[in-house]
Amino acid sequence: MQTRFLYTGWVSWLLMGAAASAADRTLSVTIYPDDLALVQDRRDLEIKGGRQRIEFQDISAQIRPETVSLTASDIGIVEQNFDFDLLSPAKLMEKAVGREITIVRVNPATGAETREQAQVLATNGGVVLKIGQRIEVLRDDGLPVRVIFDKVPENLRARPTLSVTIIGAHAGTRPATLSYLTPGLGWRADYVALFDEADGAIDVQGWVTLSNSSGATYADAQTLLVAGSPSRIDAAKPQNYYRPPQPRPTLSQAGTEAGSRERLGDFYLYPLSERTTIANLQTKQVSFLDVHHVPAAHGYEYRNHWLGTADSAQSAKSVYSFSTSAHLGLGDQLPAGVLRFYMRDKRGDPQFIGESRIDHTPMGSTLSLATGDAFDVKVRAVVDKRMRRGAFEWQTDMRYEFTNALPGAVVVRLLQEGLWGDSRISAESAKSTRRNAETAEWAVTVPANGKTELTASFDSRY
Amino acid sequence: MCGYSTWLFLALGFAGAPAVAAEVVAEAPTDLAVTVYRAPYRRSGSFDLNRLNGFALVSETRVVRLPAGRSQVRFEGVADGIEPASAIVTGFPAGVIEKNREGALLSPSALIAATAGKSVTLLRSFKKTGKTERLDGSILSDAAGGVVFQTSQGIEALRCSGLPETFSFSPATGLAARPTLSVLVRTSVPVIRSVMLSYLARGFDWSADYIATLSADGRTMDLGAWVTLANGNGVGFPAAHTQVVAGRVNRESSELLPIDAGGAILALCWPRGSTSDSPAVLQLSTLADARMAGITLAAPMTAALMQTAGMALRQVEQEQLGDLKLYRVPERTTLASRQSKQVRLMDRAGIPVTLVYGGDFAADTPAPTAPASRLLRTKNDSANHLGLPLPSGRVAVFAAARGEILLEHEAAMRDLAVGEEVEIDMGPSPDVQVAVTKERSTKTDDSSRVDISNALGTDIQFELQLRLRPGAHVVHADHPAGAKNGRPIFRLRVPANGTTILHYQTRHPVS
Repeated sequence: MQTRFLYTGWVSWLLMGAAASAADRTLSVTIYPDDLALVQDRRDLEIKGGRQRIEFQDISAQIRPETVSLTASDIGIVEQNFDFDLLSPAKLMEKAVGREITIVRVNPATGAETREQAQVLATNGGVVLKIGQRIEVLRDDGLPVRVIFDKVPENLRARPTLSVTIIGAHAGTRPATLSYLTPGLGWRADYVALFDEADGAIDVQGWVTLSNSSGATYADAQTLLVAGSPSRIDAAKPQNYYRPPQPRPTLSQAGTEAGSRERLGDFYLYPLSERTTIANLQTKQVSFLDVHHVPAAHGYEYRNHWLGTADSAQSAKSVYSFSTSAHLGLGDQLPAGVLRFYMRDKRGDPQFIGESRIDHTPMGSTLSLATGDAFDVKVRAVVDKRMRRGAFEWQTDMRYEFTNALPGAVVVRLLQEGLWGDSRISAESAKSTRRNAETAEWAVTVPANGKTELTASFDSRY
Repeated sequence: MCGYSTWLFLALGFAGAPAVAAEVVAEAPTDLAVTVYRAPYRRSGSFDLNRLNGFALVSETRVVRLPAGRSQVRFEGVADGIEPASAIVTGFPAGVIEKNREGALLSPSALIAATAGKSVTLLRSFKKTGKTERLDGSILSDAAGGVVFQTSQGIEALRCSGLPETFSFSPATGLAARPTLSVLVRTSVPVIRSVMLSYLARGFDWSADYIATLSADGRTMDLGAWVTLANGNGVGFPAAHTQVVAGRVNRESSELLPIDAGGAILALCWPRGSTSDSPAVLQLSTLADARMAGITLAAPMTAALMQTAGMALRQVEQEQLGDLKLYRVPERTTLASRQSKQVRLMDRAGIPVTLVYGGDFAADTPAPTAPASRLLRTKNDSANHLGLPLPSGRVAVFAAARGEILLEHEAAMRDLAVGEEVEIDMGPSPDVQVAVTKERSTKTDDSSRVDISNALGTDIQFELQLRLRPGAHVVHADHPAGAKNGRPIFRLRVPANGTTILHYQTRHPVS
């Protein structure tokens, strides 16, 4: 009974700061993607007047101490300290070096206790004690010995502790704001797109998924999400002419429409309409986008790298494209996230058909997202002939065989990449368009349950 | 057997030789000064509390009471990361004969090693009866491979009996509990002296943490900064004069001879495991426990603090130190063990800034649509309300939105001298996208098109920089090209909700 009482007392001492002012406390949390949040904690603070040290314990366990600021009227900051020497049995003993402790030996047979005073000499890989005029290693023989300490050294903390030394111009309770950055809080966007093949349209819902592993709970907090990414643009880094394989681009046309959403610099803000409690280790989802019946196209795409030749037919990629424009589109900016596509089965139940990652996408863009391989639409690219035409000149004859096992005709976009230098197409069985200097593109219609063949000759030079 | 007697002889010989040096323990420091230097090879930006690779010059004033003759003066409780070769001791009446950093700390295994060959008492307990038997004997081996000892009953191995066994040692082993520097001095008469010990110690670091607050129109910013310094040593420095030094100093120091922190007494025989519960050894590289593992130090945000400018009472004072900058904390402060501390560095207001969008691309290589980078640009001179040395650190940029001051971006900042251009990376802009398309290509010429789209409601300045192949140049472009740092640059204006298209042609020698 006594121990229980003591335990309760200890807890309330720890939380006192929070409990006493809970009524006047306002929390606002601004969460960035990439594991970062700005916490602003407004509460009443008792200022004594003169020099005063204020400790904060009910804050995020992962706080970045150097980002802390405390603001209140008529106070001046002298310094801010962050102590990360934590209380543990080992640390307790380490800090007792040179001091007296009490050891209680317990007789293993009779249970009789013998008390002795001992001086701690060292704690390096074992505790060395001076008992009377002899030196012993604590519990070296494995027999039970209790060690009793008088007090906890001042610098040892239960958890990392932030303290701010201030000088108050006058005494009195006044509102103060403590703000800091902490990792452990983050958010990402998740999209659910339901594609209707017959209508050629999609319904898109956007969800913000919030996660908190910061070790603290933010009760009743005003929550604001910022769709910025703190990482640097890769294009700004010199690449030394080495080009890593690019993932398939998803943004086929960058938009130029400005939305009505609030901004912070170039980043969009997604405020949560109501105060919410973000508990530690909680995942929370909030809707931010719900658009119905937006025109969307379903197509197929096949990319062949230079001199790519295949023994068996390869599946084309199944590609969905739609606009984020205010006109005939989603009409919003899309924060980076994963877009999951669903389609209704014969019974009318939505089934998952694949997903694709998108970057921050401005409004007015056209997105083209690959969800996976098409089972029934395949392409076999073959290098038919390769002939030397001159000292550094080559002719390459390519044949592309398209098969379609679907009951309807499909259009496959064929992209032949790697046309470096002044490569030219000398002959082709269907008209190509040159997307850019290095890529030729054909739109090939494959009849229902049928085949199509395309041939092209390329002249290239080394 | 032969080896054993040699060792015994050596040990006895050592113990007997100088004999005259009296052991004197210096008193606790009466005055302390700590000057913290940054990790020399750390990149600009902030540091990690778990890896403090900077160092500090520590100066301690201690009172020493010397008897006449030779004395071994022990300075106990110096920083764990002390570099003994750097230690300077001044104030002794005659010079210092030698300096030693004690290599082995007092530990169970060090005790065994120090007692090897000497007499010791074995305590053997019987759990059934609770009786403890005391046997006099001597230790034959050190603790590294298990302990062998000899009593009147013969030769045995420690704790291979299955009974609880331990040793009781006699004191005066000469082993120090805490990192200790000892010096050998000689004086003709007994004196009481205040001596100063200075040394370099590892396990410190510092950086500047800047807070830039953009004005509502984005044309000016306020810049404030903290000095954040950290001590990762297990030793604290109470009421110390504290300084930090900016600039990079050369460091050639070789590896430190590690302090042998010792370990438990191992019972390596017919095994029964190890012996005592022991606290972890002080480790400079892994300071805090696992809970702290994710913490890296970075910029303070101090948004609201900026509004009450001048409220930071204590600002560091800057002075020139050779080719370095020294910042002094005006009053004494306590730098506790494993602590990070912040003191105000500077506050400046109304600094004019320009926001520039940009991209940096290889001239003849296509690049898929990607967000443009943003830069906040100003100059470190008095015309721009700056003109003071800006030590390397992290800068956090704040801006107002929804009636609050919110973090917009964080970036690293290098050491900036007066007169240098200040560029703060503001991250990529999702609303300004850039794509480079190669339109035509011949043996020597490449024609490219750059599309810059702007979904913002305002016009923007865009700087496109090109990286050319060796020997290549721009032969034609439909916008005027300038040069910056020897590379072509296009300064473009992209209208609100519009797109600017740039065409250029580059020529390179036939390879």
